[in-house]
Amino acid sequence: MSREKNVIIAKDLYLEYKKDVPIIKNSTFSIKSGSFVFITGPSGSGKSTLLKSFYGELKPKGGSLQIGGVSLNDIKSSKLAFLRKYLGIIFQDYKLIKEWTVEKNVMLPLLIAGYSKDVCEAQTKRLLKHVRLSGKENYYPLELSGGEQQRVAMARALAHNPVIILADEPTGNLDEYSSRVIWNLLEGANEQLGTTVVVVTHSIPNNLKVPFKHFYIENGTVYEIS
Amino acid sequence: MRSLKNHISLIIPLFAILFAVEFYFIISKIIAEYEVNLSKDYSIIVVSKKPLTLPELKAVEPDIALIQEIDSDLIIKRLKQNGVDVNYEELKNFLPHFYKVYLSSFPSADMLEHIKQVLRGVDGVTRVETFTKVHEKMYHFLIFLKKISKFFLGIIFVTSIMLVFKQIEIWNLEHSERMYIMALFGAPLWMRNAILIKLSVIDTVISTILVYLIYSYLLSTKYLKELLGFENITISAQDLLKDMGWLFALGILISVVNVLIVSWRQPKIA
Repeated sequence: MSREKNVIIAKDLYLEYKKDVPIIKNSTFSIKSGSFVFITGPSGSGKSTLLKSFYGELKPKGGSLQIGGVSLNDIKSSKLAFLRKYLGIIFQDYKLIKEWTVEKNVMLPLLIAGYSKDVCEAQTKRLLKHVRLSGKENYYPLELSGGEQQRVAMARALAHNPVIILADEPTGNLDEYSSRVIWNLLEGANEQLGTTVVVVTHSIPNNLKVPFKHFYIENGTVYEIS
Repeated sequence: MRSLKNHISLIIPLFAILFAVEFYFIISKIIAEYEVNLSKDYSIIVVSKKPLTLPELKAVEPDIALIQEIDSDLIIKRLKQNGVDVNYEELKNFLPHFYKVYLSSFPSADMLEHIKQVLRGVDGVTRVETFTKVHEKMYHFLIFLKKISKFFLGIIFVTSIMLVFKQIEIWNLEHSERMYIMALFGAPLWMRNAILIKLSVIDTVISTILVYLIYSYLLSTKYLKELLGFENITISAQDLLKDMGWLFALGILISVVNVLIVSWRQPKIA
């Protein structure tokens, strides 16, 4: 996936779970490469659904959606798997593999990309230091606090230097300190690596240092506010 | 403990399949050897006015492996024993040629009838005796054994495949979250299923070893050794090991195919 000018393009996007019950409708918007974007809206407005469509878990039922120039409308499984190698995804509930150690969880995208063991280990060590979890390589997720687990998820999302990071309520379950760490990491990825960051959240943090775009969802339609 | 239970749940049906297949292999081997032994013992008696040769008979029936002339002295001796009052020297000059005709394989009833007709058409042959009744009894017994073992193999195979399928479906549910997360990061199908395939391979190895050990023990028991030895049938350790190779391959095939079917049946995340 190339780092294009507009990395996400939606035209008249229509998303639904049940037939004729739209979650997102008539939505046209685009997200520039390297930008930091917030998507907000009331509970049940379709924020997470929209994010799901970005990583291909929900296919558009109408309109069009392109990520990095790849259409997600009729994407095949093999192509979707390929596309996902360029995405880093963070969830509110972390979605770590409980049976795997912290180190293996962080390595996951690198293993999928086919890097050698040495490269995987070196990159994982560097990332765990970056998210302040050095020394916890051999811990299992359930042995860590919520904030630590989310930092592991953050390290995993950054491991393969993704073009886009998609974060669904990344600090929703975290205390103030852990939230601050996560925002710093997301800002760092955006500023230093030029990674496009798309965050679905209830509230935008006050002390963010990077410029950002804000999309708001109301009655199923996505509006660009700023 | 749960992990052990999970393994046993797959090992039992896999073991049942492999045990049944090996049983079929052994029965087939026993029957094949028994057929060879029978064909060696079995012969057709041909009475001819003229001397017969093997090439002459082979030309009309290629399945004929050997002919053996019965010494006329033996026939005279038997008549003497029975106290038949004739001039034996004179009789000897008038006696036709008696032959034992051996076949290369154990014949079916139809084939035997065909051979009988062919031999009757040979110049000089006056009588052909196949001892059909004895032959048919043995032959039908063999066919019955083959059919029974095939039937049981079929039943065990179908039931066990269903159990294997169920167990892999349970595994799939247990691992669904991990597979989902892997899919989110673009892992291909084989990578997501690697753990299930690994578990299947381990259980197939265990099942194959168990089948090998049980059959090795059974075939080394005095009773079976004597029974098989009585019919000159041998099943060597090498034969058994070769079978295990096939069983392992079959077990892997069943497991992998089941893993893939179960995976495809899972709801797609995209």
